[in-house]
Amino acid sequence: MPKRLLIYGAGAIGRGFLPWVFPPSDYEYNYVEKNERLCHLLNDRRQFTSFRVVRNDYEECVVPIRQCYAPGGEQEAIARADAIIMAVGPRNASSLIEHLRGSITPIICCENDASIPEMIRAATGNPNVVFAIPDVITSNTAPEGLLARDPLSIVTEDGVCYIDERVSHVGGLGSYVPRMELEKQWLAKLYLHNTPHCIAAYLGSMLSLTYVHEALKNPRVSEIVAGAMGEMKHVLRCRFSLEPAFVDWYADKELQRFRNTLLYDPIDRVAREPFRKLAPNERLIGAAQLCICCGIVPEKIMLGIMTAFCYDNPRDPDANIRYLMRALQPPEFLIVAMQLRSGEALYELLLDRWDANLNLLQEISDG
Amino acid sequence: MDREPVLEVAMRAAVAGGSLLQEYTTDPLQISRKESYRDIVTEVDRLAEERIIHHIGKFNEKYPILTEESGQGISRDTLHYWIVDALDGTVNYVNHIPLYAVSIAFIEDGTPTVGVVYNPIAQDLYYGAEGIGVFKNKSRIAITDHAVEDCLFAMSFSGKTYNPSTREREFRTFGLLNDISRGCLRTGSAAMNLAYLADGRFCGCLGKANKIWDIAAGILLARLAGAQTTFRYVDLDGNLVNYLAAVPSAWDILARYFDALS
Repeated sequence: MPKRLLIYGAGAIGRGFLPWVFPPSDYEYNYVEKNERLCHLLNDRRQFTSFRVVRNDYEECVVPIRQCYAPGGEQEAIARADAIIMAVGPRNASSLIEHLRGSITPIICCENDASIPEMIRAATGNPNVVFAIPDVITSNTAPEGLLARDPLSIVTEDGVCYIDERVSHVGGLGSYVPRMELEKQWLAKLYLHNTPHCIAAYLGSMLSLTYVHEALKNPRVSEIVAGAMGEMKHVLRCRFSLEPAFVDWYADKELQRFRNTLLYDPIDRVAREPFRKLAPNERLIGAAQLCICCGIVPEKIMLGIMTAFCYDNPRDPDANIRYLMRALQPPEFLIVAMQLRSGEALYELLLDRWDANLNLLQEISDG
Repeated sequence: MDREPVLEVAMRAAVAGGSLLQEYTTDPLQISRKESYRDIVTEVDRLAEERIIHHIGKFNEKYPILTEESGQGISRDTLHYWIVDALDGTVNYVNHIPLYAVSIAFIEDGTPTVGVVYNPIAQDLYYGAEGIGVFKNKSRIAITDHAVEDCLFAMSFSGKTYNPSTREREFRTFGLLNDISRGCLRTGSAAMNLAYLADGRFCGCLGKANKIWDIAAGILLARLAGAQTTFRYVDLDGNLVNYLAAVPSAWDILARYFDALS
């Protein structure tokens, strides 16, 4: 009898990647999805196709679905689930607390934020909440040819899902690892994947491109992304004492990933919510602060930060960054919008490079 | 009307005015008294107002500006105009209590449609506009609804000379609200009260015969954040208003007190 999964979020990770971790032949798929149109389509078609990029080709997996619930309608599915997986995005995670309270079913948090499992544990009283790291790039759509075959097609990379070994009984093809290994993988994901990945996306957005691999084709973008990667490699070795061979291998793997022309990784998806990425401990400001702690000036990351400041997408949940950037003087912006303190090193460095970095970005933008 | 540029100039002007207030924190220059012991003005009020008007004027000189200090008036048939209070909470300011704000609103057809309240000490910038939303610094904000007994309220009082015979009623209302809730505060800044309502710290604010420039921006921010709001002019010049803003759970009870006050 297949194990029953209840997956919150039928987006990139939930729909695109998880079927390769928990094969549909062994697991029954149930979703909770707040996008009404997507929810309706999934219930209407009762299946979708995930395409995995392997050796420059697509491998296909048709995933049958038992049910897709609108949020709030899934109580029966929670009761019968063997495992619950969260993949709704860090900002939406707390909205699930009410639904999950009282359940002791294992919950695997595939959110890009290591603090969320603890928050969910504390708020729901469920001790079986663990962190997982989908080490993968997954699009939330697919190229036209694949969409013509199945409008719910989605494309993913051939990635690895690192999962806390405390829930290894859930099974599947995930890599169940001890907490120490999970922490190492998280550091690498946060700083060798997330930091350069979002910098590539912000630069791509500035160039009005659609996919990350298109941005990497621009030599100046490629140079900045590789430079930011180099700064973070230094941090991981100096601050966290990760083995140089692991760091180098991980960094090379990521740069190849960003260039993968089959992934169709949308810039809007990677660049979304710039304030979250600019939070004090996150992949941009947090990364730059770590560089400073290690004695290096994060020139390329600061360029990435400036590009995030200039992110101009009126449909983004953080679209108000545009008003703050246009209305405030640089020192005021750094204090009011970024909560940096006047006089601290990063504040001074960002101000010092402000005009030069803006000019450089303009130059890149002008081609 | 495209409100984005209007909002941005209001933000720019508010932060510029607030920065000037901060520069003079330790030396607010000369203090003059207006209608009462607590109705005072400093040179800094005037300097900050000048700076704000400069920024707004740079953007567009088409719309008149109603201000507290320079007395630029608005004729009754003016549809679109700015309302500026360069320093709401002057008594707090001169006493070094870090609760005061710059308040700037843009009015369309008698209704605030763009509002900014900036507390330069906390560096809290509240801003919002119809069709855009309401924010504090980088975050979108919303009211937090509570049962009345868990609410914190704030009240602001009329000037002593407005209608001395009804002042007893205001103080009684203040006491009653204080006793049915977590408390009722008189903070000294109506603009900050309304901003705090917008970001969920307060559950309701009311005031009688307050100056329109104290509340025009804040009442919009509160409404955009989900509060129910009302205000009505109580003088012929169109400068004084009674106002009420509250979360849904507290609205009915505050509305009864508000009606009794009015």
